[in-house]
Amino acid sequence: MASTSFKPPSEVFAQPPSFIPHQPTWENFWRLFTSTNFLTYFRNSVIVSGFAVLLTMVVSAAGAYSLTRYQYLGREKIAGLILCTYMFAPIMIVIPFFILAKKVGIENTHFALVLAFTSFCLPFTLWLMRAFFKTIPLQLEEAALVDGAGRIRAVIYVVLPLALPGIIATSIFTFILAWNDYIFTRILITSDELKTLPVGVQDLFHSALIDWGLIMAAGMMITIPALLFFVTVQRYLIRGWGAGAVKG
Amino acid sequence: MLGRRRFWAMGILILVFLFFIPMMGFSAEKKAVRIWHTETEPQSVKAFQQIIDDFEKLHPDLTIKQEALAWGDLEAKLTAALAAGAPPDASHGQAVTCASFYAKGLLRDQEDIAASIGKDNIWEAVRRQCFHDGKYYGIPHSAATSLLIYRKDIFKAKGLKPPETWDDFIKVAEAMMERDKDGRVTRYGLSLPGVGLFINIAVGELTKANAGRLFDPRTGRPKFTSKEVIEVLDFYKKLSATVLPPGWLGHGYLDTFANLATGKAAILYQGYGRGAGYIEKYAPKEMANADHFGVLVKPHGPSGKETAAQIDAEPWMIFKNAKYPEEAAMFLKFFFREENYIKYLHTVPIHLLPTLKSVRNNPAYQANEMVRKWKEWQDMQYRYFDTGQAKPTLIIEWDDLKLPFGLEILGSGIVPDMVTDAVRGMPSLQAASKAQARAEELITKLGYKKW
Amino acid sequence: MEEISDQASKPILHWIPRLSTFIKRRGFSPLTKPKRQEQLTGYLTIAPAFILILGLTLYPVAYSIWLSLLEKHSFFPQQRFVGLENYFYLWKDTEFWSSLWLGVVYSAWTILFQVILGVAAALVLNETFVGRGLVRAIVLFPYMIPTIVAVILWKWLLNDIYGVVNYWMLAFGVVREPICWLGADCIMLSLILMSIWQFFPFVLLSILARLQTIPPELYEAAKVDGASAMRRFVHITLPQIRGILFVVILLRSIWMFTKFDTVWLMGEGAGAGRFIRTLPVYAYMRTLTYYQAGLGAALAVIMFAILVVCTIIYFGLFREEADIG
Repeated sequence: MASTSFKPPSEVFAQPPSFIPHQPTWENFWRLFTSTNFLTYFRNSVIVSGFAVLLTMVVSAAGAYSLTRYQYLGREKIAGLILCTYMFAPIMIVIPFFILAKKVGIENTHFALVLAFTSFCLPFTLWLMRAFFKTIPLQLEEAALVDGAGRIRAVIYVVLPLALPGIIATSIFTFILAWNDYIFTRILITSDELKTLPVGVQDLFHSALIDWGLIMAAGMMITIPALLFFVTVQRYLIRGWGAGAVKG
Repeated sequence: MLGRRRFWAMGILILVFLFFIPMMGFSAEKKAVRIWHTETEPQSVKAFQQIIDDFEKLHPDLTIKQEALAWGDLEAKLTAALAAGAPPDASHGQAVTCASFYAKGLLRDQEDIAASIGKDNIWEAVRRQCFHDGKYYGIPHSAATSLLIYRKDIFKAKGLKPPETWDDFIKVAEAMMERDKDGRVTRYGLSLPGVGLFINIAVGELTKANAGRLFDPRTGRPKFTSKEVIEVLDFYKKLSATVLPPGWLGHGYLDTFANLATGKAAILYQGYGRGAGYIEKYAPKEMANADHFGVLVKPHGPSGKETAAQIDAEPWMIFKNAKYPEEAAMFLKFFFREENYIKYLHTVPIHLLPTLKSVRNNPAYQANEMVRKWKEWQDMQYRYFDTGQAKPTLIIEWDDLKLPFGLEILGSGIVPDMVTDAVRGMPSLQAASKAQARAEELITKLGYKKW
Repeated sequence: MEEISDQASKPILHWIPRLSTFIKRRGFSPLTKPKRQEQLTGYLTIAPAFILILGLTLYPVAYSIWLSLLEKHSFFPQQRFVGLENYFYLWKDTEFWSSLWLGVVYSAWTILFQVILGVAAALVLNETFVGRGLVRAIVLFPYMIPTIVAVILWKWLLNDIYGVVNYWMLAFGVVREPICWLGADCIMLSLILMSIWQFFPFVLLSILARLQTIPPELYEAAKVDGASAMRRFVHITLPQIRGILFVVILLRSIWMFTKFDTVWLMGEGAGAGRFIRTLPVYAYMRTLTYYQAGLGAALAVIMFAILVVCTIIYFGLFREEADIG
């Protein structure tokens, strides 16, 4: 994919296929940025995915903590119910979701999109985080509580560092899910200024005069931020007992 | 510590606030007219936007929002919009879609737009795309037909004659194939798309070229097991066995153009004017012209005498219950004004043929490089139109548009499945019977059984 | 404030040996007795998640269930209540059974290999070696790209006429004729391979995250005892990742069974795509190409019911992982 994005159109179908373009060129990227609304889509994707991750992670971390640390009536039932709502194929939920959004008056807004992403990310992040939180033994918090720390501090200094790899992994998934969503964006958003990347690329692809170089360039540009996000964040996945990661 | 926390809290609050602003911003005093269409190429979208901008200057109280979608997405969005009671103001549709919507009373008639264009100015060949009960309910945004595109240079080099029947065609295609020293094929005779929509189109064309009908004109009963349709399936079988690449069922529409442009296939049966642009881009420079890539009249089948092609001319539909149908109509009148319309047509020159006769004869329209270079392709399309041999997808004669289930049959995949079965070895009669049963069942379930 | 952070980080290091013996001997300790205030906090922290999810999915799910009891054209508002007629119709529909079968085949194979590949890769990437960060980024790549780009990529590579895969296979003499990866015979295989490639990083990352929090002392103690790599895996790693693995398999199963985008984009439901017409694809077709919204909704409800039943069975089989510690 990378090599095709640098090839001029004449080389795209050459046989035998070559990895290194004979005449590498930036023209595909240039066309991408000038003749399409790529940058707008990019910005929109960042905004929407960012907020979706934020919202989802905060809510599900709290929720997962609750499910594993507290005991109350119906706890397992609630978890089970949440899982159940997840088993409805997203593709079939889109249309009623749109109707709901229209009724409330928020169709064609980023807000509706963030809510949509949250709705299909929350159940799985909750369950995944729950599994991660379960691996952190209660003794650690109990010991901290015994030492006089309040619950909140026990959480921040004891639980969070241990849960960090799990949190990072889950937020990566949430980001990717939101970043790459197609169908919800397609149905909910009508204004071009609000579209996100996957919808933008799909439109490029369906222009009958397919411009492979452009598509590949677009593909690269879509993947790279996600890649960067991961690379920056993945160092928190390393084994560490939090001595360095927890300050202030 | 406390200061830090407050800082973060403020930061998040500000972000959230910023986030909600877009949501509030669009309380419009302007009326927002929504227009959906299927010309997704960037240059078409741009030209359309230019027309919109010019229109908005004349009507400052209106703002037009266009959305260019692929077909599948258009249908999905239309479904969602209709379910929510908020259809777009205007949209493209297929001929059968327009017919269905008209039958359910959802469309605003377009008599006023037709009048502003000049009713005689509308090209006869596409008048009936969405013309019901004596009124226009959909004027096509442009017109095109499918084409048989072939490698003229190879054809001439081998001294071949244009095929008249399907058997001739196979012979010609076979003659244009090429193999390497190991016997492997380096150029196939034909490339067809294995996509459902295109198989539907092809079966419609081939049946018409074989003087058959897919549905009984009186009762609407499917006639898949009729002799003519069986012959279509046999033709597919022969093609698959001789001149088509073995994996053709997995080929997309654009793959066929790639195959033609790069010399991996010699003929396209389901080519379109758009292909000219594709060839110019991906074929070797010396070859990217009509001397190398020409068009032939399509052959007819053993039971037929005349050939057939498919019309690709989506009518504009205006929804009665949309928010601003009148404004949409105003815009369309503006759209069809010659200076605007020509701009639009020139974005995909050989494919977007004018619905208006006056534009066709307009020298400003003719003065387009691609129009001149690929004139042969345009002329062939006009020929199909003028002889009445071109019809919309799955429509054999115009009155097929009165059948209420065209839309559902088109979308069901029953016809492509029939072809897939036949091509994979099922006897043609069996494949046809299976499809016949499925189609009858679908029509019955929809409540349209009349036989 | 400062003392607590110091105190909190240091004792962790002290607790680990205590912890590991503790875990080995008794598993998790019982929870503290529920107190009124604890219960309230518990409800409060789960509340946002609960409200959001229920609020956002309740209406769509209820709508779909209601829709499945109607006969309704997708475009037009006229509808007719028909009760369970749609379900009976599907029961007799051969297309339904074929799409169910295809869906099961697809899910089973993809889940199996995603898990195997994911766990194996996680084990490898858990070790430190030069360039590990880069390798991790590369390995996550398939999951990161939008489905449309991934499908375009694979369709491009697997193309029987100008695809790179065929080119190399011919060049190396692996095959004599180009293989029609996207043709009717191979398309399911291609789809499965592509799906494994696309989604195994999810398993990988989840398991890796868990592996990172397993105390290394456990392994050291085992090595001192002379346990081989295999035994270490079976007796230490496996029990430790069971909880995560349980959830991961559950999630991937739900996802692969309801997977629409990848499958649809590979075949679009017709032509060669007929052979990958899984249940979600069929539901989509009934709603948006046949325009029979009632039948489409019924299919979605059926998918839902199958998943619920399977999940209940799954929970029953793996009771320990499902329970709270």
